Amino acid sequence: VAEQRGTVGGPVLTEWFKTKDLHKLDVYESLGGYAGARKVFKEMTATQVIDEVKGSGLRGRGGADFPTATKWSFVPKDHPGPKYIVVNADESEPGSAKDRYLMENSPHMLVEGAMIASFAIGGHQAWIYIRGEYDRPYEMLRDAIAEAHAKGYLGDHPFGTDYPMDVRLYRGHGAYICGEETALLESLEGKRAQPRSRPPFPAVKGAWGMPTAVNNVETLSTVPWIIRHGGAEYAKRGSEKAKGTRMVTVSGDVQKPGNFEIEIGVTYRHVIEELAGGPFPGRTIKVFWPGGSSAKVLPGSMLDTSTDLDGLKALGTMGGSGGIIVMDDSHCIVKAAARLLRFYAFESCGKCTPCRVGGNWAVRTYERILAGEGSRIELGILERVSDGLQNGRCLCGLGDAAGWVIESTMRHFHNEYEEHTLHNFCSAEAALVHA
Amino acid sequence: MSALSEHVLDEIRELPAKYPQHRSAVMPALDLAQEELGYLTPEAMSEVASALQLDPGYVEGVATFYTLFHLEPVGKHRFYMCTNLSCTLRGANEMVDHLKAAIGVHEAEQVSKDGLFSYEEVECLGACEYAPVARLDHRYQTDLTPQKIDALVAERRNPKPEPPHPAAKAAALPAKRGGKRKKSG
Repeated sequence: VAEQRGTVGGPVLTEWFKTKDLHKLDVYESLGGYAGARKVFKEMTATQVIDEVKGSGLRGRGGADFPTATKWSFVPKDHPGPKYIVVNADESEPGSAKDRYLMENSPHMLVEGAMIASFAIGGHQAWIYIRGEYDRPYEMLRDAIAEAHAKGYLGDHPFGTDYPMDVRLYRGHGAYICGEETALLESLEGKRAQPRSRPPFPAVKGAWGMPTAVNNVETLSTVPWIIRHGGAEYAKRGSEKAKGTRMVTVSGDVQKPGNFEIEIGVTYRHVIEELAGGPFPGRTIKVFWPGGSSAKVLPGSMLDTSTDLDGLKALGTMGGSGGIIVMDDSHCIVKAAARLLRFYAFESCGKCTPCRVGGNWAVRTYERILAGEGSRIELGILERVSDGLQNGRCLCGLGDAAGWVIESTMRHFHNEYEEHTLHNFCSAEAALVHA
Repeated sequence: MSALSEHVLDEIRELPAKYPQHRSAVMPALDLAQEELGYLTPEAMSEVASALQLDPGYVEGVATFYTLFHLEPVGKHRFYMCTNLSCTLRGANEMVDHLKAAIGVHEAEQVSKDGLFSYEEVECLGACEYAPVARLDHRYQTDLTPQKIDALVAERRNPKPEPPHPAAKAAALPAKRGGKRKKSG
């Protein structure tokens, strides 16, 4: 059982979210907004910015959990041409809605974060790649950027300096794979979004062939606070190694689904039962996805697991994008896994054979099982397909994630798989009928 | 006679200047074409290609990759019904069944007789705390119920005159619930 934390410091990202009209520049600024960017542009060097963020311990919140300052430091300093910050606002991980929530509530926070990050890598242009379905966040960012231009914070002389800065928007058009950074870059360049093989890494050859750092919305939204309060202050929050706070989205079978900012290290029980209201009366939590549908599932008996990112890694799963999907005992794990495999198969970009073929193979196998046509053969196929999808056989993580859904649901709920496959019996549905 | 009007083609020709490389203009250009025609015909894609000096096959390759580009006619109002896990756990499949009956179609992509409606099942829309969710006319419709779907369909069958300030009501996400959730851990 992890130590219960969550009381050391106040919120970081959602600090001002109760303020009306926070999306307007004057309101945002009256609370302290743009003070971070002002300080960076007027008083700091790029190295100082990177050091301050390094001291915070901030790690990427898009799912990869990579140290943000380290990523920035990979961008070559002496590159003669343009360098870019690309903001990954393509949030599409099933169960994750926190980036939308941040952009809708405080678009200037992201604009400011993107400005600071650009300064840190020596770039002058940040591109926010936002998924096409996010109409409202797009409009709010568009208006926020226009306000920042009108005020002179973006343009040729931000805060009276001679460091030109622009933030631009690019809309996605419906493809989960664009959340993968190299696929996103392909899409930004006007191509089919298929992941690139690495090296070269985006830090060397990214958007339009130029050095690029790709950062998640939440990651960059955290940066202005770190500059205002200092990296050390941020690092007081969180667990021993995984510092700070993070956003989580809790969805599925809970009474009060929502987006919450948590201090890293609180338990899933705290998040699911205290913050999200717990299961419906008379129901128990059967399983949860701790960090988006791509994170290996944990059974309800493991609710006391810590949200500490390293702890989750040790368990073989991950905090991922913070999308916590909760499922209670009235729902069937085989059907849930079948639905997710349909998702991964549909969203496979088709570039790597194991993912393109394996996903659809798994979908057909699940269909046979759910149609009552399963046998030991189907269970064997699922195990082999799951293995074939994993362990770096593909260019990106989509195939791995599909494999993890199969592997982790089979491991924790082998009985249900056997009942369904061998006896065409669904204990979740049977329990409902007899309830 | 071209498929796209001259002013749209002019707009498309101006797009490449906004990007470090002209190829990035292909998706915004296809957006403009789709906005004018409702969906992307082979002629429209080919005109986009020539306006941007790109290969027609390349443009079609991009258009077929992304789900928000339509290659067949769609209803004037299109429901993008999320049926991914979080929405399914809260009744998304029942909502799809109800919608089909409400707009009188048998399957996804079929356009209703009056041309007003069509739907498709989509993957996670990123509004899981409001499940089940749909996107309709560039806004999210949240916490769907059969009654809510009926109301959305009825409003579009018998549209009321435009309110004076539609922008003021643009927020699709209910403020009350949003506000309640702004607490942090």
